[in-house]
Amino acid sequence: MSKYTQIVVLCEDTQQWLFAYYFLIGWGIPRQRIRRSKYSFGSGSGEQRVRVNYPKEVRELRRYQHHLNICLIVIMDADTQSIENHFRELENALATTALERRYENEKIAIFIPKRNIETWIVYLKGDMVNENDEYPHLRKNESDCKPSVTQLAENCRNRQPLPDNAPPSLKAACKELERIL
Amino acid sequence: MLKRIYIDNYKSLVNFELSLDSISLFVGANGSGKSAVFEVLQKIRDFALGKGKIADLFLPDNRTRWQTLSTQTFELEVERDTDSKYKYELAIEHDESGKNVHVKYERLWVNQNPLLKFESDEIQLYNDNYSEGPKYPYDGVLSAIQSITPRNDNKRLTWFKEQLERYIVTHPIPSLIEEESAFEVSSPSISLSNYVSWYRHLSQDQGMAYQLTSALRETLPGFQYFKFENVGRQQRLLMAYFQIEDNQSVGYRFSELSDGQRMLIALYTLLHLNQGGSQRKYILCIDEPENFVALPEIQPWLTELYDRCNNSGLQALLISHHPESLNYLLASPIGYWFERQNNGPTRVKQIQVDDEDGLPVSELIARGWLMNE
Repeated sequence: MSKYTQIVVLCEDTQQWLFAYYFLIGWGIPRQRIRRSKYSFGSGSGEQRVRVNYPKEVRELRRYQHHLNICLIVIMDADTQSIENHFRELENALATTALERRYENEKIAIFIPKRNIETWIVYLKGDMVNENDEYPHLRKNESDCKPSVTQLAENCRNRQPLPDNAPPSLKAACKELERIL
Repeated sequence: MLKRIYIDNYKSLVNFELSLDSISLFVGANGSGKSAVFEVLQKIRDFALGKGKIADLFLPDNRTRWQTLSTQTFELEVERDTDSKYKYELAIEHDESGKNVHVKYERLWVNQNPLLKFESDEIQLYNDNYSEGPKYPYDGVLSAIQSITPRNDNKRLTWFKEQLERYIVTHPIPSLIEEESAFEVSSPSISLSNYVSWYRHLSQDQGMAYQLTSALRETLPGFQYFKFENVGRQQRLLMAYFQIEDNQSVGYRFSELSDGQRMLIALYTLLHLNQGGSQRKYILCIDEPENFVALPEIQPWLTELYDRCNNSGLQALLISHHPESLNYLLASPIGYWFERQNNGPTRVKQIQVDDEDGLPVSELIARGWLMNE
């Protein structure tokens, strides 16, 4: 069978995309196998775009997953809301489009950085963080996270647990990832 | 990094100014002046490196048609690091008949201090400490920059000259790539017709050749390696070996590969130029890189390009009309919209995308809605 996209990343913006991309490359996924979803472009409310388009990507995944080894990674910042609330919203988005909820063993991973992806980046660079403060966007320097994200991927691949002081949302994401990769 | 370009009186570029970032995408209608910017960069590069005489490179017909100005003016601002900012100025004077052209002045500055001045048939050089260096008569048929030979006291000047060698301006046309090479060349032609000779030169850097081979193995199914075969005393034929069933290898002449395969090889070669830890960084000006390339191959190449521009010091200026590139690259604020009102001068605006309702930016461009608000 010819090569095909194995991992679709549905995310809010370039920073989240590059975080996922560097992680997956660091994990050993060939770059041709990773694709940024067409719904992951544009400005405006990234969170809304992800939520609205999540069912479309899930529908396509379910259509093709029987004969292709494919998975979907969804990233949306928690911002001021709880992680649980975002999970609920995504579930509702499926329900309103008459799609069944995410199955336990389904290859859909949902990452919800709290407070946002920058929280994880600042933490991975070695600074203390909390999940309530807002950390600045690395506009035009989104690639700066590459070394630390690559290192994270290597640690995860070697099943090294995250330190105790890691943001809980990042720990949850690593567990989520282990399920699909 | 090339930070700014100024062009006056070249085709549709009148008093034209553009600031650049590590990656910049030029978008706009056909004939809006995008390729003209690339042409100027190519001509300045060739002139400064002694690859052409002023009269052969800057033709009178290249002047803006609706003006009667005799002088063409060009400026490049290049940042070496945060402490060294170069400015290159070139003014060209055409006579009324359009038969004679000469350099009005050619100057190079660093941090507003002179490094070289050529005007009135005389070159004045300056040392690295900005003190006056040699002064001598010069006819200006060729660039003053190309006449510079490296010395211990002109390292700033020679840095600029050598940096220009890293400007690559290309509009690749795979079908024009010749399969044989008679000698090495250090820079590619615009169409990449001399790719094989260029790769012959590049492949001496084994690190680069290895990285490129690895990338092509991921990209071209079954690709194994390149090999040069002797087909004469100087002549070399570039063969690409692919694995087929039963682990057998089959060699194909470069011309036997498809246009798309040749294009991918060229594109990944361009991406790997900054290999080998060189301090000098390449500036790639690529006109329509997606031509001939299969849809699934475009985003991986763009992602790699974006990464290298942000992490490896590569700089890229791209011209594109392809929806895949537009949607991918314009997710970041790196796009410039070129337009001309009533065939007048080129005007350029930064592209800001606010498509909350979700129409892809390529669709907005196709509809002509994006920059007509």
